[in-house]
Amino acid sequence: MTEPRLADELHKMETEYEPLLPIERKLIWYTFGTGVLLLAVLVLVSRAFM
Amino acid sequence: MPTLLEAPPHPAPPSPPAAPAQPAPGISEDWLALCIGLFIFVLSLGLLFGKDVLGWAVTTSVWTTPIKALAPASKGYAGLRPLVALAATYVFLLVVLSVAAKLLRADLKRFASGFTVVFALSYLCWFLGSWAYIAATPDKRQALKIPWSLNLTNESGFIIALLAGLVVGNFLPGVSRFLKEAIRPELYIKTAIVILGGFLGIAALEQRALATSVMFRGACAIIEAYLIYWPIVYFVSRRYFGFSREWAAPLASGISICGVSAAIATGSAIRARPVVPIMVSSLVVIFAVVELLFLPFVAQHFLYGQPLVAGAWMGLAVKTDGAAVASGAITDSLIRAKALAVSGVSYQAGWIMGVSTTVKVFIDIFIGVWAFILAWVWAAKIEPRAGEKVRAREIWQRFPKFILGYVVTFLLVLAIGAAAPRLVPKIKASMGQANVFRALFFVMTFFAIGVLSNFRKLWQEGIAKLAAVYVLCLFGYIIWVGLLISWLFFHGVLPPLVKG
Repeated sequence: MTEPRLADELHKMETEYEPLLPIERKLIWYTFGTGVLLLAVLVLVSRAFM
Repeated sequence: MPTLLEAPPHPAPPSPPAAPAQPAPGISEDWLALCIGLFIFVLSLGLLFGKDVLGWAVTTSVWTTPIKALAPASKGYAGLRPLVALAATYVFLLVVLSVAAKLLRADLKRFASGFTVVFALSYLCWFLGSWAYIAATPDKRQALKIPWSLNLTNESGFIIALLAGLVVGNFLPGVSRFLKEAIRPELYIKTAIVILGGFLGIAALEQRALATSVMFRGACAIIEAYLIYWPIVYFVSRRYFGFSREWAAPLASGISICGVSAAIATGSAIRARPVVPIMVSSLVVIFAVVELLFLPFVAQHFLYGQPLVAGAWMGLAVKTDGAAVASGAITDSLIRAKALAVSGVSYQAGWIMGVSTTVKVFIDIFIGVWAFILAWVWAAKIEPRAGEKVRAREIWQRFPKFILGYVVTFLLVLAIGAAAPRLVPKIKASMGQANVFRALFFVMTFFAIGVLSNFRKLWQEGIAKLAAVYVLCLFGYIIWVGLLISWLFFHGVLPPLVKG
């Protein structure tokens, strides 16, 4: 079997689009939200104690 | 199959049948880098026992007269001719790395001949970069009797080596093929990082409170990079560029976290086909080179007043171990030179590079954790397969082992210096000698990165869409968020000044 060509892979993605699943949306927004929250906390900690 | 900038943290999935068969290495490059780095570090510590084991190694000063540029590292070898010191350094590295090549089951003859050329060209670039008109800082011009200089410090040799490698890699395919066995940037940079741990240990010894602060802030910055970078890049790839999950996850890891290692670890975690992280890795290498060529100069121009912000920025924005640490090294010398020229402030060398390295090392540590989390999410929620379990031991399998070497050299220097302060001058001298080899491994890394960076890949059919995601996310989001995070954690924290 030959290695798939990138152009073919991308064409396949256009015709067989995978919509975002609810679990993916959760992963994205929970991760990002946790990151923003932690950022605020860690900035405060680093300024208070360092 | 292209040679990857960074060795996968665990054996890659089997290649398609069309790929040429290669003997499986007996040991990974990660473990070899750890061993070689520790070997050189331990040899350098001979000074603590009165044995000057590495003093014959060649150092290269900023020069106006070429013959005066080279000298042995130690005054104890002052009688040694400079070219003999250079030859001895080459032979030592050839022997040590040939043992490594043998353990990697490489073709020894081809490795030795390739390495000879790699060493020669890399050293020539380092030598050229030390020419006073390129390297000298303003405070040195009078002593060197030159009216002007480019003020790039001798680390400009790294950029020259990178450019030389790019010429070879993109325009001299026959030479590239000849050098192939010796083009091992991941081995060279990881060995350099192990040695660097000891060098940074000295800096930490003298400024313990600052070092602790830097490590804490570095760890904070990394956690943010994973949680803030990855989800947005994944979302953009999936929602606006229409990439499948199989492509979007390794792409997000490659762009946001740590380039090649992260793309491969993620691809493996979500059971993507091997071609996916390989394609992503090719792009990572190319864009890392682009960043390496301009980000340090941008940092020098805008951030010479906030040097540790610049250091953290390199660690967060540049996406391979080699290029990130290298960017940190160049930024270190560029910013110190500019601060001296503009404000008369002389920062101690190594702190900016130390922050870049600390940030990058922490990023590397968490790759395994992130891959484990993704593996669990994919196996449990997105593509569950009956009977399959995600095992926590995969975190260790993906842990970059060379980091253990970095931690050992760092902590050993710290421990010895703290327990016996009278030994600190000897430890400094030891690390100075080890640093000769660290610089050589660095310059060989730059050259090798250049050789591997095949810009023709950008013209490969279909790569434009992949490159578009990369450009948009890296230059439109990651670099600026990285700068913001670096600013939040490192603003106002300055490196110590040179004494006297």
